Amino acid sequence: MVNGFSPATLQEALEIRARHSVTPYAGGTDLMINPDPDAVYLFVNHIPEMKQIEQRGDQLHLGAACTYTQLLEHPLTPAILKAAIDLIAAPAIRNEGTIGGNIANGSAKADSVLIFFVADASLKLNSQSAERIIPIRDFYRERKQLDLRPDELITEIILPTKWLDHYYYKKVGARKALAISRVVFAGLLTWQDDVIAHCATAFGAVSGVVLRCPELDALLIGKTRSEAQAAKAGYLAAFGDMIAPIQGRVSAEYRKEVCLNLLTDFLTSNGI
Amino acid sequence: MMPISQSVIKKDHLAKACGQAMYVADYDTTQMLQGLILRSPHAHAKILSMTYPPLPEGYFTVDYRDVPGINEVHIVKDDTPVYADATVEYIGDPIMMLVGPDERELERLLAQIEVNYELLPAIIDVRDGDTAFFDYHFGKGDMDQAWAEADQIFEECFETGYQEQAYLEPQGLIADYNQGKITVRGSMQCPYYVHGALAKALGLTPDKVRVIQDVTGGGFGGKEDYPSILACQVAVAAYKAKGQPVRVIFGRREDMEFTSKRHPSRCTYKAAVKNGRVTALDADVIFNAGAYTTLSAVVLQRGIIAASGVYDIPALKVHGAAIKTNTVPNGAYRGFGAPQTFFAVEMLMEHIANALDEEPLAFKLRHMVRQGSVTSTGGRYHFPVPLPAMVDEVRKMSDFEQKRQVYARQQTGTTRRGIGISLWFHGAGFTGSGERDIIKAVTRLHKLADGRVEILASQSDIGQGIKTTLCKIVANELNLPLDQVSYDNPDTDRVPDSGPTVASRSLMTVGELLRRAAIRLRSQWQEGVEQTVEEHFKEPDFVIPFYIDKFQGDAYPTYAWGVCAVEVAVDTLTGVNEITGTWASFDVGTPIDLNIVIGQMEGGLLQGLGYASMEQLAADQKGRIRNHSFSDYIIPTAMDVPLMKVQLHVEAYPDGPYGAKGAGELPLVGAAPAYMSALEQALAGPINHIPFSAEDALKLIRQSRRA
Ligand SMILES: Cc1cc2nc3c(=O)[nH]c(=O)nc-3n(C[C@H](O)[C@H](O)[C@H](O)COP(=O)(O)OP(=O)(O)OC[C@H]3O[C@@H](n4cnc5c(N)ncnc54)[C@H](O)[C@@H]3O)c2cc1C
Repeated sequence: MVNGFSPATLQEALEIRARHSVTPYAGGTDLMINPDPDAVYLFVNHIPEMKQIEQRGDQLHLGAACTYTQLLEHPLTPAILKAAIDLIAAPAIRNEGTIGGNIANGSAKADSVLIFFVADASLKLNSQSAERIIPIRDFYRERKQLDLRPDELITEIILPTKWLDHYYYKKVGARKALAISRVVFAGLLTWQDDVIAHCATAFGAVSGVVLRCPELDALLIGKTRSEAQAAKAGYLAAFGDMIAPIQGRVSAEYRKEVCLNLLTDFLTSNGI
Repeated sequence: MMPISQSVIKKDHLAKACGQAMYVADYDTTQMLQGLILRSPHAHAKILSMTYPPLPEGYFTVDYRDVPGINEVHIVKDDTPVYADATVEYIGDPIMMLVGPDERELERLLAQIEVNYELLPAIIDVRDGDTAFFDYHFGKGDMDQAWAEADQIFEECFETGYQEQAYLEPQGLIADYNQGKITVRGSMQCPYYVHGALAKALGLTPDKVRVIQDVTGGGFGGKEDYPSILACQVAVAAYKAKGQPVRVIFGRREDMEFTSKRHPSRCTYKAAVKNGRVTALDADVIFNAGAYTTLSAVVLQRGIIAASGVYDIPALKVHGAAIKTNTVPNGAYRGFGAPQTFFAVEMLMEHIANALDEEPLAFKLRHMVRQGSVTSTGGRYHFPVPLPAMVDEVRKMSDFEQKRQVYARQQTGTTRRGIGISLWFHGAGFTGSGERDIIKAVTRLHKLADGRVEILASQSDIGQGIKTTLCKIVANELNLPLDQVSYDNPDTDRVPDSGPTVASRSLMTVGELLRRAAIRLRSQWQEGVEQTVEEHFKEPDFVIPFYIDKFQGDAYPTYAWGVCAVEVAVDTLTGVNEITGTWASFDVGTPIDLNIVIGQMEGGLLQGLGYASMEQLAADQKGRIRNHSFSDYIIPTAMDVPLMKVQLHVEAYPDGPYGAKGAGELPLVGAAPAYMSALEQALAGPINHIPFSAEDALKLIRQSRRA
């Protein structure tokens, strides 16, 4: 028997969260790997407020309990997010798995999280008494260390959509489906009036949290093509210093080489 | 196509599709005890003492002292103990079983058992091994002369890794001891192997042992020898439980970590070349056997008999050794030793051709055996060798020459393409005189008064469709509708020993016995009465007797043949490759069911492609296998199935039913070298080991960039 609460509204869920020691349960696709027989679950997968998808101005608000399948089928979901979701697990997992669960699981290999990093998304966290909105980069303190209080739920992901159209995305897994990322890279680059108006990159599966270095990407912003070409070597070298991958099922050297290859290709494909 | 080849709905299709089929885990467990095995955490150690915690009522322990017969599992040699007595020889070596009603309680209690070990030196790396369980030598021709006259000598070492069978249903058995008789049922390929092992371990006469195969969710060789080991362990527990059945079903982790796998190999080849032709081959074949002998002798035999591939090489010297290491014992996996040596010899031929600046395929064709050629063991290829025609088929299907030429030119961008081709055989049926001297298969047909006919044989349907194909043969000879012929899962109390379900032998050998039995029944058919006919194996007259001590004679009566082309596209940024096409022609004789055979060919091919690439598994320095889940042991998913065009080339075998010969193992055997040959063309560098990873590919790309 699984013990748990199945609240019908967010309000109810937050009350339970405040009063009991519960484990939020969305799709359960991470939780089921090592089920804790003593856990009491708070089922958040049927809370309407957490399943909404809504565009407000330049921002897309995604309910944390949206499943991958829901997002894949939704017209407002940006192409870069669909590209990432398309390579997550397999249909059965995508029918249950949620973006909120992907974020709260805390892994640097989480594929939707990478997109939220490169897009500089924010998270909306709610408790019974308060609501706060924080950048996803601040939410991840270090590996598996999240800025989530025991009485809080992630309720929304707020995704700025302005720069998402021109993207580069590549996931390296051990096979084509049901594969955890060994290296995953996303890049955004937009030209406006012959200068780079926006550049953002993020690397997954190389360190404890997703690697996002806006200060390095800033080296290219505002540059013309020829200026960017001139800055390219320095930019790549700076990332070379930043990327110190962990040894895992593939070697650290392999991870680093692939990261730099993809970063280079990202620039090349943008004419830099 | 012969009418018999026409596909039918598989006999077990509906029960499996509707979830009605009863697997061993589906039986009601309320009256059953569960068993949990305590295993060695050390690769090599002496057991000094064991302390059991106080056990609640209804719980008991089982160890080697409880074995009523001999504490040995009968396989080929009998060195595998039922439960370890003095020493443990690998991480996972079973020491004892804890038995009781509640699985969680068992886990809790098992953790409290204290074992005192004295650690002993362990051999993990096969190169450090100093014990050869089996050591074989054979050859032909004048090696010295070939060496002396050679223009060039080539030498290279090839390595292959483990492969886990990864059947969907893990190992599981139920044992019940009642009124002096032991009954074991569950997931298995070879009920009579289990039967023989039980009689020895329990010290019972054969009539006091009963083995029943339940619906089995895949085997691929992994349920050839292992169920004999588990059966003895569970049966001893049931013997002690006196009247209450005991069940053991492995979880995925236990199954992957501690049951048999394909032997990793190191093959060192030396070739003498004169006037552009290989005149002599010296093959040194080392298989990592693991801690006990289990099936290593026979796996190694098949491997080394195939050491020279499909090539006619005048002088041959073959050495094969199965080396003991303190790691999990390796056993049978589809292909049975042949994928290792075919990888070596096919890659060697590629590399020699490249060095001689000749197209590898042309080079291979110039060396190919044909009908009447002498085999590696001095036997004959008695029947036509259809390889040239099959090569032409595959060339056409794949547009081989055109692609090969295009990809040989300088490639630009971030994609590198290549195409490769491999040729192979698989000896049909048991190696050597096994059928005649050891198995001596017997089958029966039992006709009921109402005219329905039941097949009595010990073949296990493990998904390969043998229930269906055997029934088709009998129905065809008796002119009966297929639903009038039945074949139940074998129960040794009811069926004779028609041999194990291994070596691609069931359809060819047992199917032919049943065909003859059916002909006899037809000639004796009497309406309204029950009748039984029996048929015994007889070796075909043309066979040159095989002597295993000398490796002389016909190792196989005939051969199934395979040709496969694989095309790849490698991403130079990541080293990841995509298989953009596979085209294959297989000769398994007459297909007894087209759908079933095509399914076998495609599935086997895919397992071969996985073997060559993503299926990475290794023992660490301590001898522990860490890839023990499906998230760590990567096998192809549906998304990884490439475009596959498989076609059958039928060279009918007169001594198989309607011309059928061995099919099941063939498609896996030569997939790896075709794939690696394609990668070699794409990456412009030599490959001599599998599995070959994206990381390996990136290294080659880096090297060729430097060059
Ligand atoms: C076979 C398989 C393949 C997979 N493949 C991939 C893959 O390719 N890429 C990938 O990124 N992941 C993969 N995963 C991991 C998993 O599917 C994803 O991380 C998924 O997004 C988790 O979502 P969930 O809703 O199922 O999370 P759950 O299992 O329900 O929860 C995960 C964690 O998040 C917490 N949580 C959930 N919702 C909230 C919330 N709203 N607020 C606060 N905490 C919350 C839970 O308490 C738990 O700690 C795979 C998993 C499996 C089993």
